[in-house]
Amino acid sequence: MDGFRERRRATAWLLRDPGAGDSGDSARDPAVGAATRHAVLAAIGDPGSPVAGAATLYRYVSGIDQQARPLDAQELQELGDPMATVFFQQNKYPMTVQDLLAGLPQPTAAAPQSVHLISEAGQIPPGVDLPRDLRFAITRAVQGREVDLLISTGADSDPATTFLQVAAWDQAAGVFNYYMRISPAWVWAGNSWSALASGSRGNGCFDSHINGSVVMKELKLPWINWQSQAATIQLAPDDPLRGNPLYQQVIGGESLELTVRSLISRWTTARLAAVTRDGSVAQPDHLMRHLFTSTTVNLASSATQSSVITTSGGDLALPAGFWLNKDALLDDLALPVGSALPMAPAALYVAGLSAFGFHLEEKASGFSQPGDTFFAFVVPEAAYEDNDVVRQLVRQGVITAKFAACALMLDFTNPVFSPARAQLMAHVPSTPTAVTALQDQIVQAISQAAANLPGHSPERRFAADWALSDDSWPAVFAQRIDDYLGRVAKLISTSAGFDDYVRLAESRRRDFRAMRLNEFELTLPVTNIPPNAPGLQMLEDGTVAPRPSRPSPAPGGTPPSGPPSGKDPS
Amino acid sequence: MNTINSYGPPGNLDDLDDTGLKAWSMFIGDSVDQAIKGPDPSQVLNDSPRSQFYDLTKTDTAADAQQATVTWTAFPRRIKVHSLSDIQRWQRADASRDVQDEYCEWSVTRDPASGKITKVMFTCEGPEYWNLLAQSDPAKVLQLYQTHISPDVKHGDLFGATGTYQPRNQWNDSTSHGAMHLIQANNTLGAEIELAAAATIVRNIDGTELTTDQDLIQCSRYGEPERNSDPHIGGAVNALARQKADIALADPVGLYFDDLKTDGWATPDGSDPKSYWTRRRGDESHPVRFVYEVPQDKGFTVGDITINGTPIQYGAQIADYITIRLSAVACRFGQSTTPPKTACLQVPTAPAGAAEAARHISSLPAHGYHAAPHPTSRTRRR
Repeated sequence: MDGFRERRRATAWLLRDPGAGDSGDSARDPAVGAATRHAVLAAIGDPGSPVAGAATLYRYVSGIDQQARPLDAQELQELGDPMATVFFQQNKYPMTVQDLLAGLPQPTAAAPQSVHLISEAGQIPPGVDLPRDLRFAITRAVQGREVDLLISTGADSDPATTFLQVAAWDQAAGVFNYYMRISPAWVWAGNSWSALASGSRGNGCFDSHINGSVVMKELKLPWINWQSQAATIQLAPDDPLRGNPLYQQVIGGESLELTVRSLISRWTTARLAAVTRDGSVAQPDHLMRHLFTSTTVNLASSATQSSVITTSGGDLALPAGFWLNKDALLDDLALPVGSALPMAPAALYVAGLSAFGFHLEEKASGFSQPGDTFFAFVVPEAAYEDNDVVRQLVRQGVITAKFAACALMLDFTNPVFSPARAQLMAHVPSTPTAVTALQDQIVQAISQAAANLPGHSPERRFAADWALSDDSWPAVFAQRIDDYLGRVAKLISTSAGFDDYVRLAESRRRDFRAMRLNEFELTLPVTNIPPNAPGLQMLEDGTVAPRPSRPSPAPGGTPPSGPPSGKDPS
Repeated sequence: MNTINSYGPPGNLDDLDDTGLKAWSMFIGDSVDQAIKGPDPSQVLNDSPRSQFYDLTKTDTAADAQQATVTWTAFPRRIKVHSLSDIQRWQRADASRDVQDEYCEWSVTRDPASGKITKVMFTCEGPEYWNLLAQSDPAKVLQLYQTHISPDVKHGDLFGATGTYQPRNQWNDSTSHGAMHLIQANNTLGAEIELAAAATIVRNIDGTELTTDQDLIQCSRYGEPERNSDPHIGGAVNALARQKADIALADPVGLYFDDLKTDGWATPDGSDPKSYWTRRRGDESHPVRFVYEVPQDKGFTVGDITINGTPIQYGAQIADYITIRLSAVACRFGQSTTPPKTACLQVPTAPAGAAEAARHISSLPAHGYHAAPHPTSRTRRR
């Protein structure tokens, strides 16, 4: 059996220490969907048989199901997404993306088909000998004017054997259903709630769909790795992909960003409505981990192509999300910050490329190339998924803006992977709690703990901020951010200061590499900073220091400050 | 396929009479011919001629012709890249037409009592067309302003004492009192034509063919590297040129609205938010003017519509969801014999003879280039 057949070639997983805490699919086979494939093939029997498993939708939720089994008629009928209604309930089982698209209603101007293209090797000259792993991401609005079907599939390999995965929105149930084709059958791999359930969280497709929603890691300009208005994926003149009708429809990742944002928000809305419906939240920790931890991250970078940055060039705008969770603090909570974005001298960036030995490397293929990623300075930043939950919790009055601000201002200079913020999860109830009492309970628990803790403890710092008056906290927080960014603006113009920020960026990239979201080696640059170097943190005076402690990666590859596991009500 | 007889007006607009239409076609033809010729090689090196760019009225479009559409986001990238937050960038973009440099400009109308947005007008019409229309039919210009901006517009508001049209006038120079056509210094059709022509030059530097948008624009200097539009247009055109094709801008030459996505938008009554996006000028395939406005009888305004839960408080939020496009035609794939340039654009340092070019280059702003909003101006250089 081909080891990568019908799976994505997740090269970064090939290098992962099997004892590092991964579970689910990757623990058994280092590629996406391996366990699912094994389970389904076992259920089918002899896949070489012309009838074995054909015209069947199996169920296999990784981490929950011990073996795959066909969905019964009632289960099948309960699925309300377009994949189920257009295909499976009609006893149709498309085996290629072309068959799948042909089976859908014709796209219209009001409900168009959008095709996007991504490859971590997309900016490496086509003549270089390494797998390019081009993938299509296709969106369709089947049951209305909003996108409700997303397809992910290999672009540069045989459509019949490359992976073919679908996320489809079920409007009635308020969930995404996740499917994958395992020839000659299809598999229902779970729905959005499965991502939150203790058994399946972090397993199977929920390693990356960690919160149950669709994922576009590189969500912002310049949409790293995506074909976009900022960069075109490089193809050889004679690349057969040029003749592929889907390739000829490819539009920019800037469009997919808008779609993905709306889809994430759609699931958040449905989720919050469900978990607060009876006035009580069964597992408040599942909601609050979006505020206090990094359940996942997005990848951001400067908007500048690294190779065109020269020592005599202008200043470089590093991604704003590197400095703070600006999306939550400045946009959602509207703190009146007046600072400009800190700018790095180009000469320091160029010098840093040599000093830190930046290069791209894919050990799986033996590829290596000096320099940074195509767009300079890739770092993880606070995830839209997390921020959207916080935003909607505030909007619905489950928590107040002040509460969210006090939480996010704690260690705000470390917008991702903050052990200090994560420590406050200890004060979040994990048992049913009235919506109206939830915030007060958490505040009370933190305040009580703070009384017996030193002044620098997260609890004491939170409590001090919480004591600010309702009139003053926005201005006080904004001033702290302005002061911090002012110091950063000075330090970044010095060689030592900039180098520290390079080390900090690499520290955060190491944290990202510990996540299951890190699928491809070429996603991030490699430096000469040792992989086991101490983790770093940004201090409020703009300096960088060793991080006091670095929690081990959580089960399922969740980030160092990842959430406890549990199960949401569905 | 043969040549076309003449270039049509942007959006196939019907404002011009026959004389005006001929003048417009001549302007585009002259602009294209000048762009093909490129700058004087004694003054600017490695930038001329552009023999893979062609004039649709003079050169056949071959049977293998393909149309290539390039789209980009209307929100100005330079503002986005240099802002700390969305609120900051939306405020900046809504503050001045001079920063709306992605061939799309807008003006916001608010309810004086609530401050909520009631209407946003968007335009991608180049200033050259309006200059020509003003020369051809001043009364028509006044009528269009009165129709699309305000019935209060008077002739004297638009024309100077000598009768010369003022593209930047009180009804078209702000983000709050109307946007009739593009006025930002770099938002010109002439600039678009020059950019497309210059981008047909294939560059092979030290044995490496330049292929990325930024490498090309840095080497060929055909636009502003920090915009969404210029590097992307240049990169797309150059990709066709590298396939040894001949390239022209599709007729009618112009910049057009491509789409407004409304993913994540929600109206108070559940109505389709895209239904309030109304084309006001240009034909269906070539729209050049849109207004986003909710009819009064709906009982809510633009400011009540949300995007992923956030109310629309700035016109710039809508611009995030608008795409602008340009269309090119490419044909004779694999047939061009034009050799690549092996050096980047250079301006000789010798003072004599190059004075004009040097003066021209040095007069350009750090973050852009001027293309005066006049039919005879078509040069754009950083």
